[in-house]
Amino acid sequence: MRMSRRGFLVAGASLPLVGMAGKVMAQAAGAGGRAGNLTIGLSTYPPNLQPWVNAGAATGSVTSLIHRGLLSYSAEGQLQGELAESWERDGDTGWVFHLRDAKFHNGAPVTAEDVKWNLDQIAGEKSTAYMRNQFQGVEKIETPDARTVRLIMKQPTVTVPDWFATYYMPIVAPGTVSRDSIAVGAGPFKLKSLERGVSIDLEAFDGFYKPGMPKLATVRIVAYPDENLRVAALQSGDVDLIDYVPWAAMGQIEQDKNLKLDTTLGPFMYLTFNGRSGPFSDARVRRAVALAVNRNDIVQSAFFGRGGALEGLPLPEGTPYYDEARSRGWRRDLDAAKALLAEAGMAGGFSCTLLSTAQYGMHKNTAEVVQQNLADLGIQVALNMPDWATRVAVGNRGQYEFSVNGTAMESADPDSLSALIDDAAAPSYIRSTGITVPGLSALLQRGRAEFDQEKRRAIYAQVEDLVLEQAPIVGLAWRSQGFAMKANLQGFTNIPGPLSFYSATTLENAFLA
Amino acid sequence: MEWFAKRLGISVLLVWIVASIVFLAIHLVPGDPAELLLSQGGAAPDPAIVEDLRDQLGLNRPVLEQYLHSMANLLRGDLGNSLMDGAPIAGEIATRLPRTLELIGAAALISVLIGVSTGTLAAVAAGGPFDRVASALAGLGLSVPVFVIGTLAILGFAQTLRWVPAGGFVAFSQDPVQHLIMLAMPAGTIAVGLSSTLFRVTRSAVLEVTMRDHVRTARSKGLSFRRILTRHILRNALIPVVTVLALNLGTLLGGTVLVEYVFNWPGLSGLLVDAVNARDYPAVVGVVLVISILFVTLNFVVDMLYAVLDPRVRHG
Repeated sequence: MRMSRRGFLVAGASLPLVGMAGKVMAQAAGAGGRAGNLTIGLSTYPPNLQPWVNAGAATGSVTSLIHRGLLSYSAEGQLQGELAESWERDGDTGWVFHLRDAKFHNGAPVTAEDVKWNLDQIAGEKSTAYMRNQFQGVEKIETPDARTVRLIMKQPTVTVPDWFATYYMPIVAPGTVSRDSIAVGAGPFKLKSLERGVSIDLEAFDGFYKPGMPKLATVRIVAYPDENLRVAALQSGDVDLIDYVPWAAMGQIEQDKNLKLDTTLGPFMYLTFNGRSGPFSDARVRRAVALAVNRNDIVQSAFFGRGGALEGLPLPEGTPYYDEARSRGWRRDLDAAKALLAEAGMAGGFSCTLLSTAQYGMHKNTAEVVQQNLADLGIQVALNMPDWATRVAVGNRGQYEFSVNGTAMESADPDSLSALIDDAAAPSYIRSTGITVPGLSALLQRGRAEFDQEKRRAIYAQVEDLVLEQAPIVGLAWRSQGFAMKANLQGFTNIPGPLSFYSATTLENAFLA
Repeated sequence: MEWFAKRLGISVLLVWIVASIVFLAIHLVPGDPAELLLSQGGAAPDPAIVEDLRDQLGLNRPVLEQYLHSMANLLRGDLGNSLMDGAPIAGEIATRLPRTLELIGAAALISVLIGVSTGTLAAVAAGGPFDRVASALAGLGLSVPVFVIGTLAILGFAQTLRWVPAGGFVAFSQDPVQHLIMLAMPAGTIAVGLSSTLFRVTRSAVLEVTMRDHVRTARSKGLSFRRILTRHILRNALIPVVTVLALNLGTLLGGTVLVEYVFNWPGLSGLLVDAVNARDYPAVVGVVLVISILFVTLNFVVDMLYAVLDPRVRHG
């Protein structure tokens, strides 16, 4: 076959049109007018996709595409209805949830009985659900009709709505939970296929209860554990969205006009102490440490400037419980730190070991800055940096003197502080060991049971004062938590502050422009 | 036959010793799979819940009992299930092993093609410009670590030129062309070091054999250079090359980890590293066991290859 030069040019010029036509047809073919295939480069392949287990943020990103709970957080970080259309308090201990007309992926309606079954599993005797303990506080669960669930608590509990918005509180179809499959959910996407450790393919669920959602036809999740490759995959166009953007790459992503960066100061780094024996059993020594750390050095060295000094408790600015003066409570003051050490009888300093991990750069770099800063007080710090698994085990057993840790608050409610500072809670590597601050646990309990915001503010102000004085933990630095995406990805939002890890919920609204 | 049976017996014993050492080692290291699984992302699970999960996973039984149970299962060919999500480990290895073998195979093929040919050429014209340039390049290839080569390759070919994806994997059955494209970068990265090694070994072996009497005799008989090279030099010179290649391939079985990580190639090494990080005991034991079986088999095959290349081994 011969082709004239003109014919060739015409054919060449029409190729883009053919391509466009194909694209339009593909869009038209998407069920319910859905279009677009999103590929996410996720930092970790979910170690476990069982419902109700808290298997980390990456797992949460996947489960919040497949599942929905009673509530969720909006793009602005406000509680919003999901399977429950609305909810209200019913007296001091009651909570009522009104379900909407929603369906599971298997077509069965989501009923009040189904919700009760889920809550019973969570509270069950051998349950491994993250919220099992919280549900021991439930007096009873009533289902007056198919669309109403009434929860009666043993104590007034302010945080109940927040419980139901977490990704480890999905409502799944009864009888579909088994160890070797993923339970049937009611979220915007349903599971198409997965290859363990590698990728997960989802497709839009036509029966999702929000009209017009999800907007995407499919979502493919590919695990990219190497942060540099994750960025490279975004830059070379292999993926549309990545989580856990490495701080070193943020500047370069901002410069790239084909990409967008969405960051928030959510998670933070802090120190925990072993108060059973040794110098850190003295609150003055802990406070001296708090006053000696140069937090800007941590932000520079661990987060390439992408963070902020955390000089108090991790209550985010702009929330009702934030107090400007208290948030500066541990601002660096070497003279005061030296005076405190002298008062504690350790003017010449001492030697100790700081536990961290070499597996994650931010933990390692933070520990190195703390080591340098404490040398100014004459405190000789040796670093113990095993792998993460060992670090967690050693931390849980309290086999350390003081340690670097990083986490995020579970929600924007100040009760999330309890996980870090409640000395009545079981030992954990995220809390200090053997430090009791008189009155602190009782205050936290009161805060949990108080509905009046003004009274709550007063309670948490007292909590802050106590913690600043006794330093059971010491805040170090906020870190920027970032998602990066192609410029044409619309509708996805990094939910601000501690709720960043819930951001995948907003993908129901996302589309490729 | 007796020799064969003896070798087989030693091999089985070796594999059992490896499995036992790995089992004990991974149990001795601090870190607990149940605790880790429930502590993801800075969560603080209740110790009672961790205990319940340990119970469900059988981790609360005495270590000796767990060991015997594990060995009995291994004898039956059952590698057990992952502690993380209950996935059968044998199936997981069956999916991932071929990918690592393919990666190593492709790297070996490239390395033999490049290393042996350039090594021979360099030896034939030893001291010449080709020899000098090639030797210098081989020195460079040996001294630059794979993760540097890999990262540079991604920067160059994926991010700047955009010829290939930055990494990842597509099944051959799904898209053969894309599969081979994605194989090229990781295999090429491994081949940089391996072909340099083979270059050096080939070069020195060829040089050494060239000096031998039988080559001089062949020359004096007036044989063509090509015939001398293929029949008399290379045949002898390849024995050390095969040994070195086999040793390197064995090491690569567990050593492709950096390349698999850098290129997101979902092979066996990545599975092992994830398993160690999560203290997924059965997965660690299963993967190491399979690697050690392969290693032992590989050595066996190399002995057979010697016999083919060197009649003295065959008849002696």
